[in-house]
Amino acid sequence: MKEKLNKILKLDRRYLFVLLTLSIVIPIIKPIGIPSKSISTSVKDTYNFIENLPEGSTIILSLDYDPSTAPELHPMASAVLKHAFKKNIKVIILTFIAGSGGLIDELVRTIPPQYSKEYGKDYVVLPYMANPLAALTQMASDIHSFYDKDINNKPLKDYEMMKNIKNYKDVAGVIGITGTALLDYWVVYVGDKYGVPILGGVTAISQVGYGPYLQKKQLKGLIGGMKGAAEYEKLISQPWKGTSGIDALNIAHILVIVFIIFSNIVLLILKFL
Amino acid sequence: MNIIKKYIPLTIVFIFGIITLASYYVPHRASDEYLEWINKWENIVSAFALFLGMISLFYSHYKKIQRKVDGWGYSLFVYIGFFIIMGAAILSKGNISKEGKLTYLGWSFNNIFNPLSATMFSVLAFFIISTAYRSFKIKSFAAFLLFICGLILMLGNIPLGEIIWDKVFGWTKLTIGEIKDWIISVPSTAGRRGIMIGIAIGAAVTSLKIIFGIERGYMGKE
Repeated sequence: MKEKLNKILKLDRRYLFVLLTLSIVIPIIKPIGIPSKSISTSVKDTYNFIENLPEGSTIILSLDYDPSTAPELHPMASAVLKHAFKKNIKVIILTFIAGSGGLIDELVRTIPPQYSKEYGKDYVVLPYMANPLAALTQMASDIHSFYDKDINNKPLKDYEMMKNIKNYKDVAGVIGITGTALLDYWVVYVGDKYGVPILGGVTAISQVGYGPYLQKKQLKGLIGGMKGAAEYEKLISQPWKGTSGIDALNIAHILVIVFIIFSNIVLLILKFL
Repeated sequence: MNIIKKYIPLTIVFIFGIITLASYYVPHRASDEYLEWINKWENIVSAFALFLGMISLFYSHYKKIQRKVDGWGYSLFVYIGFFIIMGAAILSKGNISKEGKLTYLGWSFNNIFNPLSATMFSVLAFFIISTAYRSFKIKSFAAFLLFICGLILMLGNIPLGEIIWDKVFGWTKLTIGEIKDWIISVPSTAGRRGIMIGIAIGAAVTSLKIIFGIERGYMGKE
């Protein structure tokens, strides 16, 4: 008995890998469609923030993630952008992550046409900047002095929506969607110093770390992980990859929990044998 | 030599450190102009740092290939990957798409960088599942607490978790979301805040030590 249990504990990890693969692949091929019963307060706060902005306001959407964290963060970015366009809010998209270029390009190729939004009038995309701290502090005095050209290498001042935007005073808020510490930078260097409302979207693993900012309202709202993305998609009634991806996440999470409990029960039995 | 290698760098750091620190707290036009000017310098220096990093990366992998160390074949891919993406970027003039169509760079991003990057990150899931089964041993009260918090956060992060919780613990009238929010906003926030304050004090002290020339690690060896 003892030997058998020890054998179970030392199970070849390849069996675990196969089980995990199946638990992720099957729900993706054949979605179960388990609905999210509740909506997190911080996700609702983010939704309400955009929902209550007056038409024609401008927000900064800082999309600082690359393909490694895209499964969680890309659906959030898409949902927030769709919501902003639906409410006729102008969007300045920027990034401090070099690998995000293709993901931003995908968003601006697919979403604006769905809402008949025009480049330069309803949204602009700023080029990648390697030095986020310099950009964040500089935009407080003059956005145009730091970003004189957009991603197409055309003068930013020539675009209709940018004519009345000089610095943070002219934007209604910043939404930072990131898998890095850049949201902290937005809070510390922009939100706290210049009083700009900061909201965020982060991976589930880093969501816990933003408790202090949420508690003190330094962050007005936070979308956390794929569940947060699915909740936001539910709020705007536009299910996309957040909603479909949550199925795979459901089974994989349960598998991890089952494995921890199972191995510890085996360990406990071994202790008394 | 001491002047060039020691006193000039120390003076530069002292002067710019003090002015930059002061400009953050002095709300004056001169502060803004200074920050604007120093930001441009910072960008220029960052660009050079990136270039130096690239040279260093190429050199270290060149050495691996030259010495034929274990896994030297992988080092070849550093060059292959770099030149493929570089070539695609030059041909596409840095644009990912043009008139709604993907350029060579866009194609490389979608079909090379995107899947490779996602794969690297996905491998983590396999490590997690293996660790969860083989190494997460609840042998103490602290480990038990960690397990309970982890369990609640994991269940709170998935809709299936909400359903399971309601079925098993529905009688408590508490939702898994409420408990998860409490963990995030009370014990986790307390711990996180303590760590943040510690890091901030540490960073401030280290910065002051650098500005006043006590900490000189950035100058390299004598």
